[in-house]
Amino acid sequence: MTPSTASRATAGKAPAGPSRGARQERRLGLLLCAPAVVVMLAVTAYPIGYAVYLSLQRYDLRFPEQAHWVGLANYGAVLSSPYWWQALGVTVLITVVSVAVELVLGLALALVMHRAVFGRGTVRTAVLVPYGIVTVVAAYSWQYAWTPGTGYLAALLPEGSAPLTEQWPAIGLIILAEVWKTTPFMALLLLAGLALVPDETVRAAMVDGASFGQRLRLVILPLMKPAILVALLFRTLDAFRIFDNIYVLTGGSNGTGSVSILGYDNLFTALNLGIGSAISVLIFVCVALIALVFVKLFGTATPGAEPESR
Amino acid sequence: MPRVPSLRSRWASAAAGLAVVASALTGCGSSGQSGQATLNWYNFPDDSGALQQAADRCGQQSGGRYTIRYNKLPRGADGQRQQLVRRMAAHDTDVDILGLDVTWPAEFAEAGWIHEWTGQLRDRATADTLDAAVRTATWQGRLYAAPYNSNTQLLWYRDDLVQTPPGTWAEMLAKADELARAGKPHYVEIQGAQYEGLTVWFNTLITSAGGSILTPDAQAPSLGAPAVTAATVMHDLATSPAADPSLPNQMEDQNRLAMESGTAAFELNYPFVYPSMKANQPELFQHFRWAPYPAVIPGRPASVTIGGIDLAVGAYSRHPDLAFEATLCLRDRENQLTNALKGGLPPSLRSLYQAAELTRSYPFAADVLAALDSASIRPKTPAYQNVSIAISHTLSPPADIRPEKDVADLHGQIQDALGSKGLIP
Amino acid sequence: MSTRHARTLTGWGVANLVVVLYALFPVWWIVALSFKDPATLTDGNFVPREWTWANYRGIFQTSEFTRALVNSIGIAVISTAIAVVLGTMAAYAVARLRFPGKRLLIGISLLIAMFPPISLVSPLFNIERVLGLFDTWAGLIIPYMTFSLPLAIYTLSAFFREIPWDLEKAAKVDGATPWQAFRLVIAPLAAPGVFTTAILVFIFCWNDFLFAISLTSTTSARTVPAAIAFFTGSSQFEQPTGSIAAAAVIITIPIVVFVLLFQRRIVAGLTAGAVKG
Repeated sequence: MTPSTASRATAGKAPAGPSRGARQERRLGLLLCAPAVVVMLAVTAYPIGYAVYLSLQRYDLRFPEQAHWVGLANYGAVLSSPYWWQALGVTVLITVVSVAVELVLGLALALVMHRAVFGRGTVRTAVLVPYGIVTVVAAYSWQYAWTPGTGYLAALLPEGSAPLTEQWPAIGLIILAEVWKTTPFMALLLLAGLALVPDETVRAAMVDGASFGQRLRLVILPLMKPAILVALLFRTLDAFRIFDNIYVLTGGSNGTGSVSILGYDNLFTALNLGIGSAISVLIFVCVALIALVFVKLFGTATPGAEPESR
Repeated sequence: MPRVPSLRSRWASAAAGLAVVASALTGCGSSGQSGQATLNWYNFPDDSGALQQAADRCGQQSGGRYTIRYNKLPRGADGQRQQLVRRMAAHDTDVDILGLDVTWPAEFAEAGWIHEWTGQLRDRATADTLDAAVRTATWQGRLYAAPYNSNTQLLWYRDDLVQTPPGTWAEMLAKADELARAGKPHYVEIQGAQYEGLTVWFNTLITSAGGSILTPDAQAPSLGAPAVTAATVMHDLATSPAADPSLPNQMEDQNRLAMESGTAAFELNYPFVYPSMKANQPELFQHFRWAPYPAVIPGRPASVTIGGIDLAVGAYSRHPDLAFEATLCLRDRENQLTNALKGGLPPSLRSLYQAAELTRSYPFAADVLAALDSASIRPKTPAYQNVSIAISHTLSPPADIRPEKDVADLHGQIQDALGSKGLIP
Repeated sequence: MSTRHARTLTGWGVANLVVVLYALFPVWWIVALSFKDPATLTDGNFVPREWTWANYRGIFQTSEFTRALVNSIGIAVISTAIAVVLGTMAAYAVARLRFPGKRLLIGISLLIAMFPPISLVSPLFNIERVLGLFDTWAGLIIPYMTFSLPLAIYTLSAFFREIPWDLEKAAKVDGATPWQAFRLVIAPLAAPGVFTTAILVFIFCWNDFLFAISLTSTTSARTVPAAIAFFTGSSQFEQPTGSIAAAAVIITIPIVVFVLLFQRRIVAGLTAGAVKG
């Protein structure tokens, strides 16, 4: 393992050379992390490495003897393709809107679950059920619901309109399906975060005359920051890679395809391993950028940062 | 539970993990019995029992030399292809017999994943078999699979709405128009979603108009005027009152459901709709009739795209000789008849279409045979998936088709697709 | 003060009801679909006109679905257990200890969480075939726990950071043994994070489709989401909606049970009360 000189520096005023206690702590830390790291590396090192390696080759599975090295040409082909940019646009739109809605909704759900008045267990379980249903099945049920003639929701719309067949209504419905399905994920993480907010602090604020909104803004949310970060980060990473809902609802047709669908089509349907892997790596790069932005925004609340005042 | 784990408990959990792995490894080592070979047959899932019956029967008839294990693939064609491609690309020795959709043999053959059928085997595989089916299994003049079952589309209509079935698309749209103005059910159900079915529709129309998607050597797109005609027919339907509002999202099953719900007057679909209508809507079934697929050019019968499955032998199979023999047995007359009666799969053997047992439950057998005899096939090229996606992407949604422009676009896209250049949408 | 209290209570009560309805409304649609027979499937009714158990009977007719259920339960439970244990160890270290390579660990976890799984499936398939893990429980358990470790580590370390560890010291000073200090002080505070992680990991393993369909080929390891892809209607084109809906209802039940059992634990730590302050 590379010694993190940064962490050594923040520990800073330590005497020259680590003390025996510090050495023991280091060893314990490494030992505790070892199993997780070993598992993760052993399983993913080859696949990820192989995927990157493939992205630098022109390799169509149907013409295997024509495979050859092309360097970054695949990336050039992807980045200059209008299909990529359209898919990226759709993906960004869906991600931003759905995560924003889910954050607000998730917070509301967490608050309600926290203060369940009756049937606490029932309310909390009911809220989590959408997340527990297999995604493709939920997507099928939405598709049926919105198909004119066979669905109860389509019957609420003006006669003859088929929302899944037009780009913007379809994207709206995809966002709806996605939000319904994964808000519980946010709500659960936020609920656990809420559980860490000391009741006394909130009550003290109430005694001091703070309104609900003020209590929320000035006391509860700041104390929930780490939980919000985890929820937002993972939810955004997953939202950017949305696949199942789009695949079932529209199949990516009529301009509703996301970057994952594009990658899937090129990898599994066209069997173009080079382009498909390049798309995957590009998706990864986009997602990494998002993660970087989050980490910068939330700064000290990241799990890896040194616990300063403990 | 978080605590400072002692050294011992850490080793314990590691050991447990290893035990899991070890048991799994040893657990799955126990295959092949000595002497008798097990042939693995991978095919689409069939719950009617017909395919399992065929596998058992052929295993018995082998006189103890092999048994056939019927392994199911996912229901959707895409899922089946993915599984097969993944395994063949990994040179899987456990795949002996593959059930390939009729558009895959060229692809699998070019990639070297299936064996060629030569000499006597070839003769036996093609005897009494429909021409179009044999063509789907042939690549560069060589036979790579034995046709298993077939499929084709007919025009289904309601005789309480329409006395005589239309002979051409123009007639059908005109009739639908009339019905619409009279306030009666008037939709023409056809597969208009952005998927393989759309390509099938386009292929049927363009070949019925006398053209084809690719040149005979499959090196370049052909298209031309027949393509414009075909695109125009699709556009006309999609913008007429005959179009179901869900057309851009409809596949075969949605068409069936719409017809059964009574909102449609015409349907272009596979024969599976017949037993379904009989079971689900007995009253509507009284008026449910069929006719040949409407023509594009008056006087020139339509060339409906052929569907179905071909059986191929895996190139890495450990028992190719036995696999060839087993395949021939699986597709023999008796088994194809069982498939047809129990599983609803139209046979690829011509003589079966005159068999009394078949015509009893397939009253439309004669029309199906006629359609199969004049059937067209989809473009035969290893890059077929790319070509198909280019077509379905350009022509979707059908209401937005601009015939000349789109056909010109297609020309360039198909050229790229054939060379598997660039991205597919 | 009491009317305001009553109004607050009513307000929350209504909010509860709204939330439950919003969550369960579409679920009811799936339940309704599972009880409709094929003829009435398309009538668009929210409540089935005619109820039938045929779909449920159908999926249990062969042992395939039952096997898939057993596989799903076994694989998900084992993966969750291992992922939570390994994740807890790593998260504890990340949150509490100083050691080199911490940033690297976080980075690696994020990298794995971020890489699109579609390109990892084929290489994983190749590895598993070589190792003989293809189509086995271990063949799914290992990828599942690998890909849920990042979430586990992140969630758990975020919560461990918030625990005031000095309380443990204070308890010991008050005369508690290390084990008592841990059990009465630390464990209740850590519980919300651990059980939250367990629920999320379980649901991930339970619902995964991509790995399940790619790394299995027979009923010996196929889980339920993949098994649904093998359901057939009465013909190759018919979508077996009724069967799929029935299967969906059946496989949601364990989730409901699992969540019902653990949801109390999430806030149990707080109700213990005296630990804070």
